[in-house]
Amino acid sequence: MSDIFPKWTNRLPLMIITGVLLVGTGVTAGVWYYFTNKYTNVGYMPVQPVAFSHAIHADQLGMDCRYCHNAVEKSWYSNIPASSLCMNCHNQVLKDDPKLAVVRESFQSGQPIPWVQIHKLPDYVYFNHSVHVNRGVSCVECHGQINKMDEVAQAKPLSMSFCLDCHRDPAAHLRPPDKITDLDWKWSENPKEAAIKQRVEGTKFVHDWKVESLQNCSTCHR
Amino acid sequence: MKTIPPPCPIPETGPKYWRSLDQLAETPEFQQWAQREFPAGASELTDPLTRRNFVKIMSASFLLAGFGLTGCRRPVENIYPFSKMPEGYVHGVAKFFATSMPTRNSAVPLLAKSNDGRPTKLEGNPHHPDSNGGTDRYTQASILDLYDPDRATRFTQNGNNVASDTAMGFLTELGSKAKANGGQGLCFLAEQSSSPSRARLEQVIAEKLPQAKWFVYEPVDFDIQRQAASLVFGQPVAPYYKLDDARVIVSLDSDFIGSEENAYVNIRRFTKGRKLSSNKDSMSRLYAVEALLTLTGANADHRLRIPSNAVIQIAALLAREVLRQSGKVDGAVAVAIAGLIDEKAIKALNEQLKPRDVKSSRAWSADWINKWAAECAADLLNNTNRSVVLAGHRQPLAVHVIAQTLNVALGSIGNTVLLHAAPAPKAGNIAELAQALNGSAVDTLVILGGNPVYNAPANLDWAKAQGMAKTVVRLGYSEDESSPTNGWNLPMAHYLESWGDARTSDGTMVSIQPLIEPLFGGVTELEVLARIAGIEKAGAYDVVRETFRSVTGGGEEAWKSFLHDGFLANSAAKSMSARVDTAAVSQALASAAPVVVPDKDKLEVVFHRDYRTDDGRFNNNGWMQELPDPITKMTWENVILISAQTAKDLGLEIKNREDNQLKVPWAKIELDGRSVEGPVWVQPGQADNVVGLALGYGRKQTGRVGINSGYDAYAVRTTKATHIATGAKLAATGKLHQLSTTQDHWGMEGRPIIREATLKEFQEHPNFAGEMSMEKPPVFESLYPNPIDKLKEKAHHQWGMSIDLSSCVGCSSCMIACQSENNVPIVGKYQVANNREMHWLRIDRYYTGEIEDPQMVTQPMLCQHCEAAPCENVCPVNATSHDQEGLNVMTYNRCVGTRYCSNNCPYKVRRFNFFDYNRRPLEQLQGPVYTTPILHKTEGEWDLLRWWKDPDRGTRPTEEWELLKLVKNPDVTVRMRGVMEKCSFCVQRIEGAKITQKVKAGASGDVVVPDGTIKTACQQACPAEAIVFGNVADPNSAVSKLKAQQRDYSVLEFLNTKPRTTYLAKVRNPNPSMPDAYEMPLSTKEFKEHGGNPFEEVGGHEAHSETSPTGSKKGAE
Repeated sequence: MSDIFPKWTNRLPLMIITGVLLVGTGVTAGVWYYFTNKYTNVGYMPVQPVAFSHAIHADQLGMDCRYCHNAVEKSWYSNIPASSLCMNCHNQVLKDDPKLAVVRESFQSGQPIPWVQIHKLPDYVYFNHSVHVNRGVSCVECHGQINKMDEVAQAKPLSMSFCLDCHRDPAAHLRPPDKITDLDWKWSENPKEAAIKQRVEGTKFVHDWKVESLQNCSTCHR
Repeated sequence: MKTIPPPCPIPETGPKYWRSLDQLAETPEFQQWAQREFPAGASELTDPLTRRNFVKIMSASFLLAGFGLTGCRRPVENIYPFSKMPEGYVHGVAKFFATSMPTRNSAVPLLAKSNDGRPTKLEGNPHHPDSNGGTDRYTQASILDLYDPDRATRFTQNGNNVASDTAMGFLTELGSKAKANGGQGLCFLAEQSSSPSRARLEQVIAEKLPQAKWFVYEPVDFDIQRQAASLVFGQPVAPYYKLDDARVIVSLDSDFIGSEENAYVNIRRFTKGRKLSSNKDSMSRLYAVEALLTLTGANADHRLRIPSNAVIQIAALLAREVLRQSGKVDGAVAVAIAGLIDEKAIKALNEQLKPRDVKSSRAWSADWINKWAAECAADLLNNTNRSVVLAGHRQPLAVHVIAQTLNVALGSIGNTVLLHAAPAPKAGNIAELAQALNGSAVDTLVILGGNPVYNAPANLDWAKAQGMAKTVVRLGYSEDESSPTNGWNLPMAHYLESWGDARTSDGTMVSIQPLIEPLFGGVTELEVLARIAGIEKAGAYDVVRETFRSVTGGGEEAWKSFLHDGFLANSAAKSMSARVDTAAVSQALASAAPVVVPDKDKLEVVFHRDYRTDDGRFNNNGWMQELPDPITKMTWENVILISAQTAKDLGLEIKNREDNQLKVPWAKIELDGRSVEGPVWVQPGQADNVVGLALGYGRKQTGRVGINSGYDAYAVRTTKATHIATGAKLAATGKLHQLSTTQDHWGMEGRPIIREATLKEFQEHPNFAGEMSMEKPPVFESLYPNPIDKLKEKAHHQWGMSIDLSSCVGCSSCMIACQSENNVPIVGKYQVANNREMHWLRIDRYYTGEIEDPQMVTQPMLCQHCEAAPCENVCPVNATSHDQEGLNVMTYNRCVGTRYCSNNCPYKVRRFNFFDYNRRPLEQLQGPVYTTPILHKTEGEWDLLRWWKDPDRGTRPTEEWELLKLVKNPDVTVRMRGVMEKCSFCVQRIEGAKITQKVKAGASGDVVVPDGTIKTACQQACPAEAIVFGNVADPNSAVSKLKAQQRDYSVLEFLNTKPRTTYLAKVRNPNPSMPDAYEMPLSTKEFKEHGGNPFEEVGGHEAHSETSPTGSKKGAE
């Protein structure tokens, strides 16, 4: 009687183990790379042409985000201010500071300042700033505490799952409309109490403002 | 649960529609063609490399990709804000500016959308007194011309580049030199224009340079309307037709829906007079007399096909009957008209209409034509003061004179026909100019626009004549046939780059303002004229501003509101009363040419304005080239149109599909010693012994898009017969030619897709459309609940659409609007032949009845947004899914291109990007075999490797791509190769409106978008208002009200797909006393013959599903 299984099948367990190990390594390596903050660019902090400090302007001086990013409530895009806007103040304040030479030059020559983009979504995502900031989503939700940053870095992953986290449960993130640009604002100093208040008030906002939990493709992809 | 598919009832029940001769004949080739999902060639890779090789190469490329991973970090990108912020500017928010598109003697008022400084979309200006916001297809396509990479970009002198200042300086110099001798030897050749500014400059030049001569040439000239009206009424007037007020409309070869001027206004007014909201309403009736099957004829309730030069006989027959009973016109005119009637010719024409096939069921009698005319005249007389007769621009003066006489006799003047003052232009014609040139009487010829070398009458030999001028200054949109070698060529600015003004057909003055600086430094006609006229402030803005001041006396505020509104309020022309000039009418009628009855050896030739390229001006426009002709469904070229009988008589055998290629005979047409060759196409419904030649193709020097498309009909067109010629010969050359038509594509195999009835039937059986439904499969409680039913409850809106087939005339402006709005690419002639056209919205055109006299129906077909969408459950990657508001959405970045969805779509509305149509230059998509860039070798090197070295190699050059990018809508993804796409109900507009509403709502719950806020691109462009979109969850929305109408039905309802797009059945309004009267539309008749009876109150369903065809009972008749 001949063998039912040919001889090479003796090596089969070893082959399977090797295969599983190889695939496992690949999966681990993939997760290691793609699921990290590095891949999603969290912490990305390029050198900007002008050493502009949000900490000084927004935190120390208490300027509102919308003084410079004035289109954020009207457009899909939160604009980078024109050099002329910087000069509104800096033609009086620090008007000969060498750190501001690039701004003055841009204002005089008409050439734009080449700021480096930090927060970037893929081209097939149609994100609209105006609808978020007008409906109780604060800047801090996506950008982090910009008001504490001397140099701006990306604080959140801005991946699709990051967007969906909020879209699945808007009540956990909504705040009163007048506190949108107050990045330090909290429901309460006590974290426990803040969480409870957020849930109660957030649910109320969702109900009163008819906020939908939009998770369909057409919400962001056109 | 496995659903048992419902039986597919072909061809036992259902109306029988046919769309091509092959289908009518039911050839095996056609059946094979129709049964395939994609025709042969569309879904196969015709590449020599095998699958095995493909896998090899792909694994190699994955390996390379692995190495490249670490290199895939995000590149550094910069943001460049303004240095100085322009006031009021918000980045990312589109702005709309009122402007208008000048046409020959009119204009189309527009709202142009500007995204961050670049115009991207054109809409009609709904505030204009004579507009509902609809536009025509030419207007929609004109924005692509702005970004045409082949337009003129430089100033040249004798072919050499010169600076623009030099050229403009030359014009000033020319003006001052001419002033010295009073303009002796200076001639202008211009296009028609309704611009008050140009008229003013003409006047200035006439005063300053009295010897200068002015000529106007248009190859397709609508001025005959004005000429005839001025003659009949003895004062300078032009007619304006209020078709909505007319109950009976007679078209004497007037294609007012398609190729006449201001078709979009006519469509709006015509369909307004035919809107039905219930079976209590009435509608107007249209009679058409014509040779070619035009859109007007296709929408007519009664149509008489007759050679074009014999239309005057029908006009005279009508006039004889009407004048006999109406006392409004002098008897001398009646005598003159009766004298035109040639009974012998009418008899001969009538014989030609006689069915030659004994099996034919077509009615005919020995006095068919006379009876037709008599009954039509009776209907006109029954509707005095509410009827109108129109004559087409191709018809000679005498026909127009008769038409206006009829309008007088019927009391239409002042009711349905308004007379507006229209001074006669003081200009010569091109023949006179050619004579002057050949007599060396012209020193300097200034050509403003146009393309006379291409489109001047062939007998003038314009190229030679133009060369006789000492210097030619030509302002042209592109460097083409007419660019002079002996002079200057100036690039012309697009109207979206220009300051200007115009008048619309109702006389309202409209503004033209620039949305962008001239991309290539082009100049306008006004600037050229102002320089020659020696006006100090010669900028176009100053000229227009000055005209506005002189016309209205208005100051800065009036000027600002003129620009803001886009028109000058209350500037419409006043209606005038007039009396018939009997002597002039009799004289004009006496000089009418006798009728020539054509036969197969002496054919009649009709030169017609093309539905796509116009007279050739849209020849290099890809959207227009790829738009299927509304009638023939031909793309990328023109054809020689003949009737089936004529083809048989001439022995032109139209072959069936061979190897799935549509090949037709290549034939030569000879007319007065001139000849041209082109492909022959049999057109159902065309008059026998008539040849239709479309103008606008076969250009020798045009851009990359228009080159090698079609034949040049101008080659046989002479001053003797500019529109209708007789005595032509047509003979096959023995060659065959491949065509690209979309007419067989996406056939629906005889199901009751289109439902129609006559007005009488509709009045008696208002629910006929529902009665035509096929039996639905039994639906039990679904095991798997449809997720949309649950999502619906929470959503604020549910989107839906209603399309009124009674209003749709098939003009196709929606198709171009959709293409413009949704970044739909063009694919080129060969890809269309492979069924790979990308239009999200198509107009299906069906014929019913016999080939000689078919009835035609058009149906816009787009994604139906089924609630139970068959495409969704076959997608392996969930790239197509439903959103909570009932949209069937397509996620491009998820799609892997299996095309299962397209396979499973019963409406065949999904489109696949077989190639990267946006980046590939057109010439790389030409040719029957196109190899993929990955598997193909070029210059001994694998394209994959070449691509690795330089990804942009072989794609469009950067400068061209940068220019073409400008026309794209930034709110819509530009799709790449390998993804499926389809109509999205303009999801970008829906989301945009919802966002605007939510921003407005802020901290409140006012988030429901008001009805009417969102208009899809097709809806907005439709002049007939046939398409209505809105929230079906709101019972008071416009769309809900339409869907509640009796005529509402959904296509293929038996599949239980629950489409969100539904249709309103078509209603025709035949006159029962006409010889060709029909009790029901031919399709419904066939439907009934096959066992169905929509007009039986009870048991209609059983009747067609269970009884045999012979067993069906007669319904209400």
